[in-house]
Amino acid sequence: MYYIHSIASISHQDSFNVSNVCSKLEKLGQESEVIAPNYKEYVPPASLRRLSPVLRMGLTASIECQNNTEKEFDAISVGTALGCLRDTEKFLVTFHTATSDFLSPTAFIQSTHNTIGGQISLGLKNHAYNMTHTQNNVSFEVALMDALMCIDEGKKQVLVGSADEQIPFLELMQPNLIPDNYPLTSGASFFVISPEASSASVCVQAVAVRFNPTDKTGEIEQFLANQQLTLNDIELALYADQLPVETNEKTETLNFLEYSGLHYSASAFAMHIAHDSLKHSDKRYALIINDMCSDKLGITLLSKQ
Amino acid sequence: MSDLKETLKEQIIEQLNLEDLTPADIQNEAPLFGEGLGLDSIDALEFIVLLEQNYNIKISDPSEGKEIFQSVDSLAAYIEKHQ
Repeated sequence: MYYIHSIASISHQDSFNVSNVCSKLEKLGQESEVIAPNYKEYVPPASLRRLSPVLRMGLTASIECQNNTEKEFDAISVGTALGCLRDTEKFLVTFHTATSDFLSPTAFIQSTHNTIGGQISLGLKNHAYNMTHTQNNVSFEVALMDALMCIDEGKKQVLVGSADEQIPFLELMQPNLIPDNYPLTSGASFFVISPEASSASVCVQAVAVRFNPTDKTGEIEQFLANQQLTLNDIELALYADQLPVETNEKTETLNFLEYSGLHYSASAFAMHIAHDSLKHSDKRYALIINDMCSDKLGITLLSKQ
Repeated sequence: MSDLKETLKEQIIEQLNLEDLTPADIQNEAPLFGEGLGLDSIDALEFIVLLEQNYNIKISDPSEGKEIFQSVDSLAAYIEKHQ
């Protein structure tokens, strides 16, 4: 089993350091901002001054997870679709327009996708396995699959999460993003996964990713069948925009994009919602269906033991 | 010269993202690296970019940097001499 021990989310919701994120959820309007903790309480000012919003969110969420966990992480697995967009844009614009021979080094150094994972390792002084996964809207699911494989290999404490940031340029691109009827947002959600239960009760039972699925309903039903379950067993289904399966009336459904806004790490925030919902209710199974991009399907099953 | 030093302080704060500082917090003679503002080697590269972009001064020998970037006073003196 893969128990979820600690969660930290920084999002447009009041989600950081709260016992039950479900009790605080509100549908986002077009104008909302990241509700950020005081980063200075987590990151030294000398380091903080160089960090873009996505790095601040990812590092702070990871530090909060570490603070809630007694042991050091044996592995760190990070998902990000678009990486450090702000630094990438800054570097590319400077590169394109600069008239001088030298370019500002900070934006270049921090423009790569794996800067988030790297900053987490530096911030936590952690020298363990560190991997970044970039797979568009299923980046988090792929990072989660890696985390579960780390546990299968014998690791006891794995940090897994996902972070993406919004920049104004994305608004120009939004008509090309699918779906486009949600506000563009930023967010980071991180989890500590362990094979040991201790005080945890909610597990990641299974996660899968399908590329170019021709029959999403069939894929989801087969995924559940592999767990000896059917759609009738699912008490909470979280989905992105359109629910691709028919559920019975007992199943609570929730379009997580209405609460996370649109960014490619939104399914990580959906897992936070699903975890807290199971933990604070008598529901046993929650399914997260992430087909924010129609050609990539992420399916995550959480269960309460 | 004093105007140049004030301008330099504003440019340093912006270029190095020293968001908690104001120009008044930076003393003209105080060391910028180490025990002063606590700047590091990446900031030294940022100083080279700052000098070229704002004052069209190229530092071809990086070993000169240690002396030039010692303080706002030394930076201003170097700019005055090479402009």
